[in-house]
Amino acid sequence: MEDLTHVDRAMSTAQDIKISAKGVQVHYGDNHAIKDVNVEIDDKTVTAFIGPSGCGKSTFLRCINRMNDTIDVARVTGDIRIDGEDIYDPKVDPVQLRAKVGMVFQKPNPFPKSIYDNVAYGPKIHGLARNKADLDEIVEKSLRKAALWNEAKDRLASPGTGLSGGQQQRLCIARAIATAPEVLLMDEPCSALDPIATAQVEELIDELRQSFSVVIVTHSMQQAARVSQKTAFFHLGNLVEYDDTDKIFTNPQDPRTESYISGRIG
Amino acid sequence: MQSLTTPLLLIFALAVIGYFLAKSRALKVAGGDVRALVSLPNQHALNTALSTAVPPAAAVLLFALYARLSEGEPNWLFSLVILGLGVTGCALSLIGIKTETRARTYAERWILGLLIFASSIAIMTTVGIVFSMLFETFNFFGQYDWRDFFFSLTWSPNFRGDSDLGIIPLLWGTLYVSFIALLFAVPIGLFAAIYLSEYAGPRLRSVAKPAIEVLAGIPTIVYGLFALITVGPLLRDYFAEPMGFGQSASSVMTAGLVMGIMLIPFVSSLSDDIINAVPQAMRDGSLGLGATPSETIRQVVIPAALPGIVGAVLLAASRAIGETMIVVLGAGAAARLSLNPFEAMTTVTVKIVSQLTGDTDFASPETLVAFALGLTLFVITLGLNVFALYIVRKYREQYE
Repeated sequence: MEDLTHVDRAMSTAQDIKISAKGVQVHYGDNHAIKDVNVEIDDKTVTAFIGPSGCGKSTFLRCINRMNDTIDVARVTGDIRIDGEDIYDPKVDPVQLRAKVGMVFQKPNPFPKSIYDNVAYGPKIHGLARNKADLDEIVEKSLRKAALWNEAKDRLASPGTGLSGGQQQRLCIARAIATAPEVLLMDEPCSALDPIATAQVEELIDELRQSFSVVIVTHSMQQAARVSQKTAFFHLGNLVEYDDTDKIFTNPQDPRTESYISGRIG
Repeated sequence: MQSLTTPLLLIFALAVIGYFLAKSRALKVAGGDVRALVSLPNQHALNTALSTAVPPAAAVLLFALYARLSEGEPNWLFSLVILGLGVTGCALSLIGIKTETRARTYAERWILGLLIFASSIAIMTTVGIVFSMLFETFNFFGQYDWRDFFFSLTWSPNFRGDSDLGIIPLLWGTLYVSFIALLFAVPIGLFAAIYLSEYAGPRLRSVAKPAIEVLAGIPTIVYGLFALITVGPLLRDYFAEPMGFGQSASSVMTAGLVMGIMLIPFVSSLSDDIINAVPQAMRDGSLGLGATPSETIRQVVIPAALPGIVGAVLLAASRAIGETMIVVLGAGAAARLSLNPFEAMTTVTVKIVSQLTGDTDFASPETLVAFALGLTLFVITLGLNVFALYIVRKYREQYE
């Protein structure tokens, strides 16, 4: 295990920066939710955001695909770049951005459609498939990547809402990767799942790292330690510490990080 | 029933007195310590009041039914009987107050009984309506061939006898007017609902929604006047005459259009509530995949809300089919089978009214036909409502 993380770290340092945020501030009405966050997230790496409830980690995650735009009172300032391109530039269409930055939510939220249509939803909207055969292929590939193909291949026409909780969440992951995003944001993807489903999704996250940059918000420090290479600790809207995962968990620099991971605050 | 007023008032007074007596007696039995009682003084009091009032009330209702059937009159004996019932109930429950009496359970049972009674009234009324219509309808079909009624293409009642009483022209008018009304109301109502629930800000919404609902509060006769003096002539002068559809101000189009306006709030208000009930997670999921707001509405929100929307539309259809006033003033009273929407036609409800108004003899088929028409209409709207319920139940909770 020790060796493995070592290799991972060597790999990630060799990679480019995918997302870079500078001086990000978020206000929800009068509430200052994110205070001057600076972070650089690597490509083809799993980055975990940890911290107590209400610390702003989900809010910051929602800045990366501009989902905060859908909340009227939210105001985002600062500079967030993906591949060097400012995503809050007026020229950027948030709709196109979200096709590039996929998102998986806390609660599985399959659409009230068939399994097939759930996965085909994004590709259809973005015109990624030229014909039915193309679409079939995308659906199959996405379901395979999400480790759901074997369970779902015989019931593609049945409703996605009929799956179990863990299968639903994997369906949502398949749905997100079907649009071929470059970044995958996951907001506590396992909080509604049982331990077995959690293990499956975690395994999946580790595989997804080969194709995407994955950012995951989690309440479980064990989960952060298991799946991520980099970890960011948020507290009261501040980014307190951001470093390699094993460093955060074995040798944290900030006393607040140490208190949190040892269970004294949070 | 005049003579029953006094005993009923006495019973009511007794129930109130019993309430307070039971309360103080329960406290006395407990020796001032409420915790010694199995049931609270309030529960004893409620039990006493209900035991006093409910049996006499039930007796009065039963007697009313009996009197209806046997032409009996309430006499002093019956007054004594219900007074006796009330006094016995009051006394028994007062004597029954002991520390271990489970007045709570008894009171709950009385209340359960009252609730069941209230629900059965609604159902019994429906059954009663159907039966009263059925009797007269049977009378009608005794005098008039049912095949002529259902399949004849002409409607020309005349009180000298030898009338043609075919329902088809009326049914055609009803369905044609309703169809045009829904053609206006469904898209406008649905789009208004989508705008209000998905795009409008909370402040606009709080003003606009009640403003649309004002339409539902306008009496239909006022809509009828609007159709008669404004919409009808307008349609005739600007559409029907220039395009050669006819010179009639009363037309299916007039009635349908105005009825459509009346139905907008039914569709929009219900659809708005239903669209709002679609979980935000659905919208987030779709927006998070890079769908535009309108794609999200078309492909995720509306399909998820569809059962409710269908329910709303069918409810509006029931209203349209049963509507009378707008049709009388907007579409006229001529029974006619025609495809031209600018011609005067009439509906089932209008003919029911016209067959039963004025000096009528309740034994002739010309009058009794109203009941057959009413029953047919009832069956159609009932069928629509059942279908709406079926749709709503079948597709409900597809999300979650």
